[in-house]
Amino acid sequence: MTDYRVSKLFFDLHHDAGLAREYRADMGSVIDRYQIKPDIRKALLADDVASLAPLVNAYLLRFYFQVRGMPEAQFIAKLRAMDPASGHSTGKVAHG
Amino acid sequence: MARLVGVFAASHGPIIARDWDTMPRDHRDKLASAFDEIGRRLRACRPDVLVVVSPDHWVNFFINNLPAVCIGIGEEHDGPPEPFMQKVFPHRSLKGHAAFGRHLLHTALDSEFEPALSHRLALDHGACIPLWRAGVGPELPLVPILVNDLEAPMPSIKRCLAWGRLLRRAIESYPEPLRVAVLGTGGLSHSIGEATMGWIDEKFDHDCIRHFENGEDRQLDAFLTQALPRTGNGAHEMRDWVIAHAAAGSTGFELIDYFPSPQTLVGAGFAAWKLPPA
Repeated sequence: MTDYRVSKLFFDLHHDAGLAREYRADMGSVIDRYQIKPDIRKALLADDVASLAPLVNAYLLRFYFQVRGMPEAQFIAKLRAMDPASGHSTGKVAHG
Repeated sequence: MARLVGVFAASHGPIIARDWDTMPRDHRDKLASAFDEIGRRLRACRPDVLVVVSPDHWVNFFINNLPAVCIGIGEEHDGPPEPFMQKVFPHRSLKGHAAFGRHLLHTALDSEFEPALSHRLALDHGACIPLWRAGVGPELPLVPILVNDLEAPMPSIKRCLAWGRLLRRAIESYPEPLRVAVLGTGGLSHSIGEATMGWIDEKFDHDCIRHFENGEDRQLDAFLTQALPRTGNGAHEMRDWVIAHAAAGSTGFELIDYFPSPQTLVGAGFAAWKLPPA
């Protein structure tokens, strides 16, 4: 289910380099401006890809972890760990 | 009257721009060769205006206001906002073709289509990577059509076919002797920000190519409607190819090249549609 507030945070970080710098310096104070739910706040602070993925558009999720400075290979590994069967529920098969 | 002089499609992906100088040379050469061929053919058809059909990667729109289709009718549009794009395609503004944009918008509204409109769009890597690599500069007037390929629910394939036919009617009914080309961008299969990220679904890609080559709309519609939910989310950008395909008259296309590009996370496809003689 899409969470509007965390989506808006990701969108704003994607658009505003100043906000992204501020976020890198002090995530908590930026998160607080978005009235984000406590469990989502915790997931943000922990870079918990699996918890955040169902809440936002997949492209915004990618942009967000680029802002966070997570290497793409690590981001992909965390995504794949969400579904060790590589998406059997959707009929998808993962390849290199 | 205006005339449709060329219809093309090409993949995009931010890594193409971001890693252009550092990716393995043989792979870069393959990409360059395909984009160069698109550019060569595009120049050969001497367009006065280029209609670029592409997704918006959360640059102009957000989930508080997300049109299914938006037509850019401005005299100018903004170049790509992404820093990695500004390094390779440093155009702050891109020329629009307001008169044809408005004609397309009116043709749509008169035909019971209700697109959003914009007097100034920002064109992100989706539109600008193919322009950059095909050698299209800011001097060629553009009419952007942004399609929601990113956030469900998206326009149906049937509707995208109808959009393509509408685009063709708009070109053919434009009263000035304008040479119009169309470029669909995106696809083929790729998977972004989801559990299958990095997956290139070659079977989907080859099936897609076969359907475009055959040029049979009903089969293409049935195939994509059934297959898109089962492959990576990036393949939803095939809607842009479908619009290009129908604008060309569903005449079948010539594949310029296809190859899986794990380096850039996309099934890289490049095509030119066969147009009936004028």
